Amino acid sequence: MTNPDELRDEQLVELCRQGERHYFDVLVRRYMEKAFRIAFDFTRNTETAKDLSQDAFLRAFANINQFDGRSSFYTWFYRIVVNLCLDHARRQHRVGWESLDRITEEPGERKELADSTFAPDQQAIASEAQRRVDQTLETMPNKQRTAFLLRNHQGLSIADVAKVMKTTEGTVRVYLHRAVAALRQSLLELV
Amino acid sequence: MKTPMPLQSACKEFEEDLVLYYYGETSEEERGRVGQHLFGCSRCQGFLGDLQRLLPQMARTEELPQSFWDNYYRETVAKLAQQDERKHWWRALIPSIKIWMVPAFGTVAMAVLVIGLLFGKGNLSSFTVRPTEKIPHEILADENQLQFFESMDLLESLGKLEAQDEQKPEAVNTQSSRVKLQSGIA
Repeated sequence: MTNPDELRDEQLVELCRQGERHYFDVLVRRYMEKAFRIAFDFTRNTETAKDLSQDAFLRAFANINQFDGRSSFYTWFYRIVVNLCLDHARRQHRVGWESLDRITEEPGERKELADSTFAPDQQAIASEAQRRVDQTLETMPNKQRTAFLLRNHQGLSIADVAKVMKTTEGTVRVYLHRAVAALRQSLLELV
Repeated sequence: MKTPMPLQSACKEFEEDLVLYYYGETSEEERGRVGQHLFGCSRCQGFLGDLQRLLPQMARTEELPQSFWDNYYRETVAKLAQQDERKHWWRALIPSIKIWMVPAFGTVAMAVLVIGLLFGKGNLSSFTVRPTEKIPHEILADENQLQFFESMDLLESLGKLEAQDEQKPEAVNTQSSRVKLQSGIA
């Protein structure tokens, strides 16, 4: 018998549709880290990211029959994750981003903010740079932010980002460039 | 973020291409064109260097322990099982229901409906009679006041009738005295 871990996403989805629910567990194992990372990029909070990404799995499973197979499972699933994150941000009025101050107090969340290999003044400037980057991402239009986070943080190709966002690759290129330009501008102001 | 150095400016017409160049999202032809420009442009070289230095740092995340992922997986699978149970709660009933029970339940339901229609017909008073004991005191008080005012109106009407009755004999007397006077004159 074939090892479930060796099955392709589409095969697992088909088995789930046939009522073999436990095959969805393989998809959970396969995508849980990616789903959590995406949610964390948007929320900057471990617990919220965990809840949102788990909720995304529940929704994906509940709507598995709506997956038409025209796109790959992961782009369909990442879209669910991103939508949940954006909905959460709207509901919370981006409270998650307000908790950045709390995150900077927790060295476990972002170690690069206080790298001991740099002098204190350099660390202070680096922290300020990080704060500006986070603030810029916070105020960035959702589509730019989504394109940037999926490409830069999650390493999705522009083609896949376009599928997740249901837009063209050209539009994603524009979003990506604008996001980088905005981040660059925020760091230029630091000088 | 390890470095506080800001991004350097690039040539405006190459800025977007350099971002895509950094992400490896340019075609072979574009890559050649950008590479050729980079060869002779220190500004764009600096810009690309900054992208290469800063963008990976923005994406850097903390590694989580394996126990976190084990727990995450267990929780998610348990939630999925719960959701699946809620979705198919009715399936638990199916084994206890025999196939002959389906028409039997249907027949009983129809019989109850017919009996209800036959015996319940014309006996709607039980539905329309107002259960007075359930009426709040405030409304009852208002109702009493309304009855009081209605009775007051009735009393006033009675008073008017009595007054009219009292006036009638006088009118009769006046008329008779007028007749008497006329006959006297005559």
